[in-house]
Amino acid sequence: MDTIVNDFTINIATANGTGSQSANLILLQSLFDMGVPVSGKNLFPSNISGLPTWYIVRLSDQGYQAPGDRTHVQVLVNKATWEEDLASLEPGSVVVWNTDSKMPMDRTDVFSYPVPMTKLARSLSPKLAKLVTNIVYVGVLAEILGITDEALHKAVEGQFKGKASAIELNKTALELGRNHAKENYTKGDPYVVEERPIEKDRFFFEGNEAVALGCIFGGVQLLAWYPITPSSSVAEGIIGWIPRLRTNDEGEANCAVIQAEDELAAAGMIIGAGWAGGRGMTATSGPGISLMQEFIGLAYFAEVPCVFWDVNRVGPSTGLPTRTQQSDLAMLYEGSHGDTQHIVIMPGTVEECFEFGWKAFDISERYQTPVFGLSDLDLGMNRWACEGFTYPDAPMDRGKTIREKDVFEAMENFGRYRDVDGDGIPYRTLPGSGMAPILYRGTGHNPDGVYSEKPDDYFNLMARLKDKINRARDDLPAPILREEVEGEIGVVYFGSMENTIQEIDDMLEATGIKVSQCRVRSLPIHSEVESFIRRHKTTIVLEINRDGQLWGILRRELPNDIVSQVHSVAYSDGMPPRARIYADLILETIKEASQ
Amino acid sequence: MSEKPARAIKLNVINEPKENYKGGPSSLCPGCGHDQISNVIITAAWENGIEPHRIAKMSGIGCSSKTPAYYLGQSHGFNTVHGRMPSVTTGAYAINKDLLYLGVSGDGDSASIGIGQLIHAIRRNMDMVYIIENNGVYGLTKGQYSATADIGSKKKKGKPNETQPIDLCALAINLGCTFVARSFSGSKKQLTSLIKAAMSHKGFALIDVISPCVTFNNNDESMRSYGYVKDNEVTLHMADYIPHFEPVTEVEIPEGHFTDITLHDGSTIRLETISDSHDPSDAMAALTALHQAEVGKKHVTGLLYFDSSKPSLAEDLGLVSTPLLDVDASDLRPSEDMLKQMNSEFLGR
Repeated sequence: MDTIVNDFTINIATANGTGSQSANLILLQSLFDMGVPVSGKNLFPSNISGLPTWYIVRLSDQGYQAPGDRTHVQVLVNKATWEEDLASLEPGSVVVWNTDSKMPMDRTDVFSYPVPMTKLARSLSPKLAKLVTNIVYVGVLAEILGITDEALHKAVEGQFKGKASAIELNKTALELGRNHAKENYTKGDPYVVEERPIEKDRFFFEGNEAVALGCIFGGVQLLAWYPITPSSSVAEGIIGWIPRLRTNDEGEANCAVIQAEDELAAAGMIIGAGWAGGRGMTATSGPGISLMQEFIGLAYFAEVPCVFWDVNRVGPSTGLPTRTQQSDLAMLYEGSHGDTQHIVIMPGTVEECFEFGWKAFDISERYQTPVFGLSDLDLGMNRWACEGFTYPDAPMDRGKTIREKDVFEAMENFGRYRDVDGDGIPYRTLPGSGMAPILYRGTGHNPDGVYSEKPDDYFNLMARLKDKINRARDDLPAPILREEVEGEIGVVYFGSMENTIQEIDDMLEATGIKVSQCRVRSLPIHSEVESFIRRHKTTIVLEINRDGQLWGILRRELPNDIVSQVHSVAYSDGMPPRARIYADLILETIKEASQ
Repeated sequence: MSEKPARAIKLNVINEPKENYKGGPSSLCPGCGHDQISNVIITAAWENGIEPHRIAKMSGIGCSSKTPAYYLGQSHGFNTVHGRMPSVTTGAYAINKDLLYLGVSGDGDSASIGIGQLIHAIRRNMDMVYIIENNGVYGLTKGQYSATADIGSKKKKGKPNETQPIDLCALAINLGCTFVARSFSGSKKQLTSLIKAAMSHKGFALIDVISPCVTFNNNDESMRSYGYVKDNEVTLHMADYIPHFEPVTEVEIPEGHFTDITLHDGSTIRLETISDSHDPSDAMAALTALHQAEVGKKHVTGLLYFDSSKPSLAEDLGLVSTPLLDVDASDLRPSEDMLKQMNSEFLGR
C-alpha cells in the first residue's frame, strides 16, 4: 500500500473537562516541532464538564489549515458520541479506540487499533487515570504515525513548564502508549508523519492572546469587560501581561482593569475613559455588542474614542456559544439606533490580531469615534502558526486633543464640534484641563457643543460625521490582494476565512478556474476593493454567515454599474469553514452568474 | 455725578467669585426642587473652595440629569444615557482619579433603569458624590410614578401608588455604602452641609434629596409635595460643616450634645443632637430610623450612615499614583527590545 504522508486529519472524540485539551495540544505541538504544517481546532461545548468535545488535527504539506472534509484517523474515547463518530468514518480510516469503554467496535472496513486506555492509565496512576488516558492515546498515535520522542518530550516540557512530576508522569504515559502499540500491532494503514525542514522560525499563538498583547503595546489604560465566550481570553491575556509589561518596580500598574457588572457598564466605562482622555477598551462577543448598542450611539454622536473587540460566535441570541461565525459585521458597522457608521477592522491572521490590537487605539483617537476589532472564535481561540510580532511603526497617535494651554489659546474660534481643519475631525479638550469646558451629551448639539434642535445644526452635524468616517476609508488597513493576471473571477472575503482560502482556491483551480483574492480588512470599504471588483468580470463575496453581510454592505455602497457583478456565497453551520463546501458553492454561483 | 463705589465682590478661599460656579439658566418648571439643589451645589462648591475646572459633572437622563447645565459652567461634564452615569464616571475615574466627580441623578434614573449600575458603583466604593433628586415621578414623560413613589401617595392625576417603593438610602446602607444621607430640597442649610461633607468624603457618597415636582406631584395627597415634606420631616440632627481651611477651634461650640466626624480632606461635619441621638456609624440604627419613618409616613433626613474604613476604588485598582491621563507615552508602550525578547520566548515555548 502507498503511504499517505502529512496529508490527513485526526479527530479525537473525548468528553469536556477530562483534561484531553492538554494531551491534544501536546500532539499538535510535537507535530509542529517536527516541521509538519499542522493546525488544531477545538470543537468544545458550552459546558464545564461531561459534554462531547472533538479536537481536530489537520496535517497538510500544502499548508491547509481548515479542518478538512473528512476524518482519516479517529480516536474514540467518548461513549456519548461513539456510535455516531464510528458510523461517519469512510472505509480505510484508522480507529484508535478505548477497549475499556465497553462500546461496540463493529466496523471491519477500517484499520482498528484497540487500546485498553483506562487500564494502562490506571496501572500508572489510579488517581489520575482519567487525565492519563488522554496522554496514552497520544503515545499510541505517536507509534502508529511516527511522531518522534524528541518532539513529544519537548512539547510535554513546554506544556508543563517547570512541573517536574507532571512532566515525568506524562512522559511515562506516552511511553506506555507507544509500547502497547509496538507490542500489539503491525501497521496496516497508510498514514505517516514525516519530519520537514523548518525554514522559518514560527510559533503557535492564539488570536485572542495576540489581540491582548497588541492592546498592551497600544497603551491600553482601561480594560473594562464582562466575561463571555469566546472573548474572555482577550481580557485574561491583558490581565496576565500587565504585571510584566505595564507595572513599575513598586508593583503599581498604569493600566486599570475593571470587571464590569454587565456589557452595558463595560461600554459606559470605556466611553468614560475616552472622554477623560485615556485609552479604554472592552472585549466581548455578539450578545455583548447587542447590549452595548445605546452606548455605541453615544460614543459615535458625542465623538468619544473607545475600542471594542468582538470575538464573533454563532448567533442569533445565545446561539451556539462555542462555535464560530462571521455574523456580527453588519451590526458593528451600523451599531445603535439612528444613522450611524462605524470603523471596523478585521484581522485574518495572528500577526494582524497583534497589529490591529495596538492600531485600533490610534484610529479611534484620530477619528474620535468608536473602533471595532472583529475576530471570531476560530481565529481567537485556536492556535495558529505565527512568524512573530512586529513593533508598531509609528508613535501613538493621540489625535486632535489639546493638552497644552498655549496651544489652546492660540486657537481661533474653538468649538468642540467645529470642523476647523475641514477634515471633519474637530479638536477636543479634556475634563480637568480648565480649557473650554463643555457638557458632553447624546442630544443634538451645535458646533460649540451646546444643546440645539435647529435643523441646520442637526443636518450639518450628521453630514460632518458621515464625512469624517468616509475620509477614514483609505487610511484604514488596505485589502490584501492576490491577483491572477488572466483571472476573470475575484473572490472577496475577510477575517478567519484567510485560513481556508488557499485550499478553496486550489480546489477551484483543479476544475480549471483561476480566481483572484481580495481580503477586506476594514470598513468602511477601502477604495481598492472597488478597483479590484472592476478588474474582474464576476466577484464572489465569501462569508461564514447565512445572509452575506459583507455582500450586503458592498451592494449598497458600490456604484450601481458594478453591483450586478457581485455575488454572494454565504454559508455557516457553526463549524470552522471546510473548503469543499465553499468551493462547491462558488462553482455553483459562477455557473449561475454566467447564465 | 458721583460714581458709586464698586461693591467688593466676595471671594472664596481660592479667590474665586461665586459667579464662577454658576451655570446657564434653568429650563425646568418654575419652582422645581431641582433648581434649589442646583443653587446649593453652586454654594457648596464655592464655599468649599474647589477649583471649578477640577470638578466633573456627571448625569444620566431625566429632569434632574439636565441640571448640570445650570451649575458649574467652568466644569466639564457628561450628560450620558439613561441610568448609566455610574459606569461612565467609573471609566473617567480610572483615567483621572484626581477630579471631583459630582453626579446628579433622579429616581427614574437611579431606582429603575440604572439601579444595577448604582449598586455596583456603591460596591466599588468609587470616589464620587451621587445626588438623587427624588420626586417620585417621571417628569419629562409627563408624570408616571417612579419606583420611589410612596405607598398611598397620590400624584396630581390618576390612582394612588400601591407598589412597594425602593428606599435608595436603605439599599445603599445594605450595600455598605460609605456615606448615606437624605435631605430635602427645601432644607437649604442641611443640604448644603451634607453636600459639602460629601465632597470631602473619599468613597461613594449618596445623598437622596426629596425634591418636589411642582407640575405632577405637588398636590396635597402626595407624600412628596412641599407641604407634606415640610410637615412630616423628621430631622436626625443639625448638620454643620466646618471646612479644613477653617480651624475647628474657631467655630462656636454648640450648647447641646454633638458629634464631630472628621472627613477625608480634614474637614468636619458636626452633628448636633436634636432629641434622640443618632450614631451614623451604626447601620442598624440607620435602617431602623428609615423603617420607622416609612411606617409613620414620615421622611427622615440627615447623615444616616458613615464609614471611613473602607478602601475606595482607587486603592483597589492598584495603579500608579499619577493619574493615568498623565502617564508618559513611553511608559504606556513597552519597548521594541521587550517585544523582541517576547518573540524569542514564544519561539522557545
